[in-house]
Amino acid sequence: MTVANPYAIQMADLAEVIDETPTIKTFVFAPAEPIAFRAGQFVQVTVPGLGEAPFTPSSSPHEPERLAVTVLKTGLVTDRMHDCKAGDRMGLRGPFGKGYPIEKLAGKDVLVVGGGVGLAPLRALILALMHDLGPIRRMSIKYGARDPSELLFRSEYDAWTRHDKVDMAVTVDRGDPSWTGNVGLVTTLLEQDRLGVDVANTVAFSCGPGIMLKFVTQALLNVGLKPEQLYLSMNRRMSCGIGKCGRCNIGPYYLCKDGPDMNYAQIMGYANVF
Amino acid sequence: MAVYFAEEAQLHTFLREAGPGKTYAAVRREAGSEYALLGPDADDEPSLREARPGVSPKRFLMPPRERVARYSTVGEAGAEAPDESDEKEEQPEPTTLVGLRACDLAAAEYLDKVFLEGDFEDPFYKARRENQIVISVDCTQVHEKCFCDVVGGRPFAMGGFDLNISPIASGYVVWVGTERGQALIDAHAKLFREATQAEIDEVKQSREKTSEQLREQSKGLKLTEHLQEVLSRLEESDLWDKHAAQCVECAACTNICPTCHCFYLYDRAAGEGKAGEFERIKTWDSCLTADYSRMAGVGGTKPNPRATLRTRFANRFLHKYGFSPIQYGVLGCTGCGRCMEACFGGVDIRKVLDEIDKRESETAAGGRETDA
Repeated sequence: MTVANPYAIQMADLAEVIDETPTIKTFVFAPAEPIAFRAGQFVQVTVPGLGEAPFTPSSSPHEPERLAVTVLKTGLVTDRMHDCKAGDRMGLRGPFGKGYPIEKLAGKDVLVVGGGVGLAPLRALILALMHDLGPIRRMSIKYGARDPSELLFRSEYDAWTRHDKVDMAVTVDRGDPSWTGNVGLVTTLLEQDRLGVDVANTVAFSCGPGIMLKFVTQALLNVGLKPEQLYLSMNRRMSCGIGKCGRCNIGPYYLCKDGPDMNYAQIMGYANVF
Repeated sequence: MAVYFAEEAQLHTFLREAGPGKTYAAVRREAGSEYALLGPDADDEPSLREARPGVSPKRFLMPPRERVARYSTVGEAGAEAPDESDEKEEQPEPTTLVGLRACDLAAAEYLDKVFLEGDFEDPFYKARRENQIVISVDCTQVHEKCFCDVVGGRPFAMGGFDLNISPIASGYVVWVGTERGQALIDAHAKLFREATQAEIDEVKQSREKTSEQLREQSKGLKLTEHLQEVLSRLEESDLWDKHAAQCVECAACTNICPTCHCFYLYDRAAGEGKAGEFERIKTWDSCLTADYSRMAGVGGTKPNPRATLRTRFANRFLHKYGFSPIQYGVLGCTGCGRCMEACFGGVDIRKVLDEIDKRESETAAGGRETDA
């Protein structure tokens, strides 16, 4: 057989497991053959004997030798992953999908809107852009989590916003006694007076639960963004990763090969988007 | 290329002997035709004059279950997993398929687009297809569910075969589609002679007759103009409620459909009980089942984008007639009608097509309704 087998699994040991929040951990792999990926592309992680699940790396594409995924404990595979420790053997397949259209962002205001664990894939975008902020005009990050304990990558916000071109606003659905920041859904950060980007020149990227994506989309359209300025990280059950097994479609698009981040203008006419 | 003729006994001998590897043919059975192994001594007779078999030859292109990967948690991580014996095991033996109807060839063409085009090829599918001889046959009988003419097909093949057989009264006219097919004829030259013009003319008449039978059976059923646009408007229409109400989610239609190709990947222990050895299996799946698209997560996060049967039913129909032309440039339906034969609930895909067409002509006549 001369054709590469896209189903083949590369075994890789976990180099590190990082507790991020009470429900989210980051798993760092050191694959023998580093998996070069574009920010926004995803990999399939195999828990041996159980199966695989798709995750978009949260780590920088400039460090493929330390590929990391940041995972909410929420199902069969992720429950088992949360029991894993450094040194445990897992499988990797990929990368799959298109990745963020970073080459189209020169001169743009980049708006990054994350909800909960949805900041994980966006971190790869943020780090890819931070690698060379020269081409973009600015980057504004809006992030919301359920409560302060669920804020992801909290220790990194200062480093991200140290650069003049980058600002970040954070909100939580429910505060706690120590919380002095914003309280409210992430959409409250998207109101006209708080947006802080030039709407006409903006490209927005959003990732989070489906319901959050729906309201973020509405909020951004309300302030004047056009559908084609909006990229949504759509989640469907991507399995094969190669556009053949069928289960991750929105209309004629297979998210595993055409996404998972989709331009809203492409998908808005189809059913069951949110 | 030359056109050949063989009498029935000679053709049967040829079909039993010619193909490399195992030959699977549509054979006559009491309850209709079906694909079965055609051995040299088998009593089975190739079914060349009956309507298409009730089950398509999809399983020879895309086996219901196959291993696509192995992995191990023992030894060095990242080491090349399969040893040489595994590689050999993955090489499919050659097969010869006999008796495929034009709709089956259209389905094979569709599956080729799915598994061989795009950024990734399926190496298992590719190896199987490369090692497959295809001998097709014209339809001289029409099954009561056949409607290939409605979806752009014809009851006879114009390509996609190595050899194609056209039954006529005195025997069979054989058309050569590829050099591989010619080589098979050359190796059994004694069984054939060149077809006469009269025999070729008889084929033409026979094909016209079958086409006319189909037209009569379809009774004016047609694909709505601009069906893709119409369907995109109907994706969330109430049209689907009535038809979905008949569906029992048994997946018979998706299993029997020659173009339905969706699959599921799952892992299981391998290596004869050796600890830490696993294999990944690819198996047929159905978009009509509730858990097909279900993701992880609790109910409130909407883990199932198509939680209702109606949306799944609509998605399957739209994939066939709306999305496939965008994805692959062809319809995902060959008009073989097998889904209707298999359906326990009596879902008739022709009725859905017809209803859409009627709604559209009514809408066009009486002003556009705002649907969905």
